Order: sequence, then C-alpha cells, then structure tokens
Amino acid sequence: MRETGSDVSAAKLFLLGALCCGAAFAHVGSPDVFYQGKAGAYPLLVAIRPPEVIPGVARIEVRSLAPGLQQLQLTPTPMTGEAANHPPIADIAVQSPIDPQFYEGSLWLMQMGSWVVHIHATGPAGTGDLVVPVPAVATRIRPMNSGVGYFLLGMMVFLVTGLVSIAGAAVREAQLEPGQPSPRWTPKTLLTMACTAAILAFALWRGNIWWAEDAAVSQQRLFKPLGISARMTDGDHAEFRLNDPGWLRLRRLDDLIPDHGHLMHLFLVRWPAMDQVFHLHPDQTATGFFDLDLPPLPAGEYRIFGDIVHENGFAETAVGQVTLPDLRGKPLVGDDAGGAATSDLGHGYRMIWQHDATPVTAKGVRLFSFAILGPDGKPVNDLQPYMGMGGHAEFVKRDGSVFAHVHPTGSVSMASVAVASPEQMAAMHETTVGPVVSFPFGVPAPGSYRIFVQLKRAGKVETGTFDLEVK
Amino acid sequence: MEATAMSTAAAFPSSRPRTGPQAGTQASAIESAGIPWYIWLSVAGVTSAVIGVHWDISWHRSIGRDTFWTPAHIAIQLCGIIAGITCGWLILGTTFTRSALREASVNVLGFRAPLGAFICAWGGFTMITSAPFDDWWHNAYGLDVKILSPPHVVLALGMVGVEIGALVLITAAMNRAADRLRNRLELLFLYVAAMILVVLMVLVLEFTHRVYLHTAICYRVISMLVPVTLAIAWRSTRSRWSATIVAGCYSAFLLALLWILPLFPAQPKLGPVMHEVKQFIPAGFPLLLIVPAYLLDLLRARVPGWSNWKLSLAGGALFVLAFVPVQWYFGTFLQSPRARNWFFGSIYYDYFQSPKSFAATYRFVSFESPAEFRTGMALALCCAVVSIWLGLGAGDWLRRVRR
Repeated sequence: MRETGSDVSAAKLFLLGALCCGAAFAHVGSPDVFYQGKAGAYPLLVAIRPPEVIPGVARIEVRSLAPGLQQLQLTPTPMTGEAANHPPIADIAVQSPIDPQFYEGSLWLMQMGSWVVHIHATGPAGTGDLVVPVPAVATRIRPMNSGVGYFLLGMMVFLVTGLVSIAGAAVREAQLEPGQPSPRWTPKTLLTMACTAAILAFALWRGNIWWAEDAAVSQQRLFKPLGISARMTDGDHAEFRLNDPGWLRLRRLDDLIPDHGHLMHLFLVRWPAMDQVFHLHPDQTATGFFDLDLPPLPAGEYRIFGDIVHENGFAETAVGQVTLPDLRGKPLVGDDAGGAATSDLGHGYRMIWQHDATPVTAKGVRLFSFAILGPDGKPVNDLQPYMGMGGHAEFVKRDGSVFAHVHPTGSVSMASVAVASPEQMAAMHETTVGPVVSFPFGVPAPGSYRIFVQLKRAGKVETGTFDLEVK
Repeated sequence: MEATAMSTAAAFPSSRPRTGPQAGTQASAIESAGIPWYIWLSVAGVTSAVIGVHWDISWHRSIGRDTFWTPAHIAIQLCGIIAGITCGWLILGTTFTRSALREASVNVLGFRAPLGAFICAWGGFTMITSAPFDDWWHNAYGLDVKILSPPHVVLALGMVGVEIGALVLITAAMNRAADRLRNRLELLFLYVAAMILVVLMVLVLEFTHRVYLHTAICYRVISMLVPVTLAIAWRSTRSRWSATIVAGCYSAFLLALLWILPLFPAQPKLGPVMHEVKQFIPAGFPLLLIVPAYLLDLLRARVPGWSNWKLSLAGGALFVLAFVPVQWYFGTFLQSPRARNWFFGSIYYDYFQSPKSFAATYRFVSFESPAEFRTGMALALCCAVVSIWLGLGAGDWLRRVRR
C-alpha cells in the first residue's frame, strides 16, 4: 500500500467509508440499461431490464423511432471470451399490436459478468445491427412471500405426518389378509413410526442446512459495489483509493480501460443540499489508486461517485463519501468541470429543460431534452462535443439511492460499447451538437431527483441543474 | 360427506358386508373385475414422469432454455397430478363408500385405502408442493443454478414416492390375484420396476456417460442401484426371468428414446453454442444390464434354497464379474468410429459441449490412480452384495403385502 502522505495526521479529509446503497453497478440504484442508436438505417431506442438474479431473464423493449421496421432479432452473448463467438439462435422480438413501432422480447443471461445484446433490424432499407452492453449481476435475493411460506409449511407438516402414518400402516396392516381385523397399536408399529419420524426430522434438518448453505453462496454472489475513499495528501492534492469489498474473483482493479479518454470519471456532489457538483478525471498512479488536484470548492460533506470500466466491458460505479474543508484549489482544466448548482450560466445565458406537462413516471423511458438559451432568449447554436458526446447528465436521487451518468446515447458506458463493437463506437462520436441535447433515460423509482446537465460551448463546460419529482 | 359417498358410489362397487378373515373369498371379490383402473392410471403416471424426465434432460441438452410450461415439465408434473387425483379419489371412495377395496385397505389418519394409494398420493402431493417451491427458488437464487437443488430433490422424492406407491399398489393386487390376472399384474410390476431403474440411472447419469465407462466410480454407482432393483423383482414375482424382463424393459425404453428423440427438430436457444444441433439429443446407448440380469436369473433358478446372504454374495459377485468386462469393452466400442451412427448414438453432443471435451474427442475420463481404481472396484463388489441383500429383504416384505 502506498503511503505518500507523510502527513496522514495533517490530512484534512477522512473517509467515512459508508457505501451509498447495495444495488449498484454501471450506476447506483439504476440497473436498467437505456440506449439510443442506429441499426443500419433504423433509429432505435432500447431499454433492457436485467433480472435480479443470474441466471435470469432480461426484458427488452425497443422503440423504432421511424416507421418501416419489419423485424427485430435479439441475441445475447457474453461480451468477451470464447462464448462471445458462439451465439444461440436469435429471438424474434414481438411487435406490439397497438403500437407497431414498439417491440418486446426476453432473453436469458446465464452467467454474471459483461454481456451484450445484439439487435438485428430488417426493413425496406435493408438490414442493420446494433449492440447494447448489459451488465449481468445478481442484485437481490427475493424473500418468500407469506402465502407461499405458509403453503410450504403446511404441506411440510402434512407430508411428514402423512409419511409417518403411512409407515405405521405399512407395518400394522399391509400384510393382513383382506377382511382380517386390524390390530391395535403394537410396539413394532410405534417403533417404525418413531424411526420414520426421526429419519424425516434428520432429513429436514440436513435439508435446512443445505438450503442455508445455498442461500449463503447466493448472498456471497450478490453484487457488492466498489468503495472509494479519499484523503488529502498535499494541499489541494487528493488521493482516491478503490476498495473492493470482496465480490467475485472476476473483478480486478488492474484491468481498467479508458472511457472518453479517462480511466475514471469522478463526481463529487455536496450532500445533502446537492448545491455543488464536480465532474473530474483523476489519474491512476497505481492499481486502485488515483490522484487529483482538487478545484476550488466550499467545505462540506461530499458524496463520491467514481465511474470505471473493466477490460471485459463491465462498467461499475464506486461509491463513498468524504468531508472536505474550504479549498482554494487549482483551476479546472481539460475535461474537468463543475461548480455551484444553478441553471443561470451568467452573462444572460441560461440552461433550460424542454419538457411538456406529462409527469415523469418511474421506469418509463423518455428523452430528457436540454438547451442553452442566449441573452436573446433563443437556443445557442455553438454547442460543442464534450468528451465526444453531445453532453453528459447525472441523475441523482435526494436520498442518495440513485446515481446515473447518462449520455445522449443512453446510460451505457462508451468504453463498454468500444469493447463490444469498436465500429459502432467509432460511429457514435458526435461532431455536431445541438442546439437541443436529449438524454434517453428511465428514472428507476419515485422520489425527488436532481439532474446535473453538462454541455460545452465556447470551449467551456457549462453545468445546469434541474429538479425532478417522479411519481 | 354424503354427497361424496353418493358421487363416488358408482366408481367403487359395493362388496358384501365384512364377515371376517375369509381371504380367498374377499380376494376374489376385490379382483374379479381384472386390473383395476387406478393401477392403470398410476402406471400411466409413472410412465409420464419417466418420459418427462428424459425429455427434459434432452431439452436442456438441445434447446437449453425452458419455462415451467415446457411439454417435458408438464409430463413430469402430470405424474403428480394423476397420482394425486387418482389416489385421492381412491382414498375418498374407499373411506366413504362400501367399496370392496375397504376390506383390503389400511388406515392412515382415519382414511382407508390400499397402502400403495397412500404412498402414491403422498408422492403426488410432494411433487405438486415442489412447483411453487421451485418457482420461488428460481426467482430468489436464479434459474436452474444447479440441478441438485432442494426443490428439485423434493420433486424427485415425490416422483419416487409415486413410483413406489404404484409398485405397492400393484403388489397388493398381484398378491391377492391368481392365474392369468396375477401374470398380467406381474408384468405390470416388472414394467414399473424397470421404470424405477430408469429413474435411478438418471440420478447417476453423470457417471455413466460413455467417457466414464473405464472408471471405477461408474461401476460403483451402478452396483449400488441396479442389483437392489433386480433383487426386488426376483423376490416379488414368480417369473423365472424377472431380472431379465426388468433389464430388458429398461433397455427397450432407452433404445426407443435413442432412436425416436432425434427424429424431432430442436435448436439451441442459449449460448454458447459450441456444436450445431438440429434435433433433440438423446441419452446414450443403454448400459448392457441385460447381460448380468440374465445370468442372475440363471443363478437363482439353480440355487432355489439359498439364504439371502448366500444369494447376495453369489449374486453380487456375479453381477460385477459379468457386467464390468462386458460394459468395459462395449464402452471401447462406443468410443470407436463404428459407433458413430444413429443406432449406437455416439454421434450426438450437447450444444454446449466443448470441441475439446472428452465426449467430442472420444477419450475416456481418467482421474483415478491404479490403487484408487482397484479400491473402487472392490467397493463396487461390496455395493453389489449389499444392494442385492437389501433388495431381497424388500422383496420378501413386498411378497407378503395384501393391502
């Protein structure tokens, strides 16, 4: 372990260490995958709802954003490795009889790790393909509902009682000639019933142990998010460290690949007001260690969200929190951005969220559209790509249970797409942006959210802040 | 209660009032109508389960993905439903009507019916119980994370319950019957015993694949499960060829699967697909159990007065000494190019079978040292002896069952 800080005692930061919540991988508390892209000539909006358990069944919803599509074929494979080269036969997505541009399907994800769904579109404009990365992890052991529990308990009592009685009857009467009167309880009968009961009790006891062992194995396999801790090492210089709580052996920390040119996208959000947000990019100095000169920021408790991608395309978000003092800091440079949460960008400019009166509902897929208005009240036309994308948006729930980093292409990490299909990734880089930038996303649960939107114009990344109530 | 009695009266014809232990008269009154409907239905249930199990295994080897409602699963659950309804009806009818069967019934928790009906019903209810348990298990821990899971064991216990129940139901009727009816019931008994053997062999399928035929563990598990079944058939029936018939039915059943299943198209729906599969993949060629079974029948005919222990020692040794060399060299044949055809079935691979696997490269698994192999074979011999002894004991008990 590196102890560069000769000044641990002088450190102004300390790790609280608590993780925000249990279910998290590519994002926090937002397991569904949203993706917007083109399969050949056909623009598609895809939502994939991964299962809570693996192996399990993922539900897939696809909306064709233009008419004419005739058929969609869906095929899941692991993203990398030998199995990626041997797909099963494709499933035909079912077209909605009410909405002909809406298709549904379901696919089995057989093992934990990084998967990809291949979408093959067919229509009058020929065929086209789209790949959508999907992380497959077990996130929850569903408890048994009381109805099933009482039924099984009742049946267990019934079956045990029945078998003990059957054993008694077998000894007492089974070998009597028909019509011969049945004897009363004999010691042999009682002994047989007692032995049967003892054997069943032993079997149930062993079965219970077996069940508990299986449950423990499943518990161990549940996804455990990486933790991230921070400490000041020298002035405004901070060191971030990834902490693996112990999940599967397949998770490593020395296999990170760059996403938009950075090994980590680090978000600092002042908590609980969420009035300061920073999107930073620390440099990796050793396996699991990252360094960064922090920008000027006010004191307070900050939530840390660190987005990383492994070489197999598996994306996850490390979570932690830290208490910071007032920092004079270094000016933001490169792709780093952030500051006070506001939509007033100064000099008469402001960022707006274009939406109608339709309420946002949980799980519903929609496009969240934003633009920057100039002093004349009209959308500016000089938006620029920000790290190859039209913009970046972060959806953060006020209770800290949800954090999702979304692009105009959706919630999928671009590095994951690059692993799955370098050609598709190359086609995704945006060279022209706006004036309206839209993010496809489905808010995972009801509650109060804050949306941080980052758009770039005139060489500067502007951060707008919006509040969202989800019913 | 009266309504039940009225509605079931037609299905359970009245008998004379009970007059005491007049065994012959009672038996003829009960069995005069031939093989009862409930025996046919219980045999149908057993057959449905056994077909369903092999169909399901083939489904997982050829298609992979399934739901609760696949035909194979329905065939398995049909066994529980048939057994539960049939024997539930039989129990209610025997309990609440003046059925002739009442005289040949046992009392379980205040209800009356033949012992086999209670065992069958217990198995059926156990199978039905496993369905919601398995459904919850899949939702909680994943779809078929492993085959040997608690709900699957509950299902298997229920299935075995139905099969043993059917066997006892037939046994009681068989032991009360005479002449031609007894012969017909004996054939049904041997058929159900063969189905039980098929299911027992499913439990050890992993160790009896052709690539394991040169390991001791293969012969050890076979020696544990096969002789007990053959010995039960020996003692429970009067047929001179009981063991041969059981082994013959087992072989015929598996050969039918081997030749019929590939006639139906199938495509893998799970990846990775390492082999192109176009049809259902059957289980392999049956084990040559017919050889030791035939020799055991010859032995029994020559030593009618031997005690159970003496017969167990001789029978166990004969089983191992006859079966191991025959199956060993047949295993070599199954790995050879001459067996790579539809008849012997060495051409079929699971869709997920690696091209480098033992099965795909026709190599034998070899993980036992020479010492372990010798010990394993000695254990196989011991297992065969004990297995026959247990079977003889169970057969002796079954031979006396009247109700």
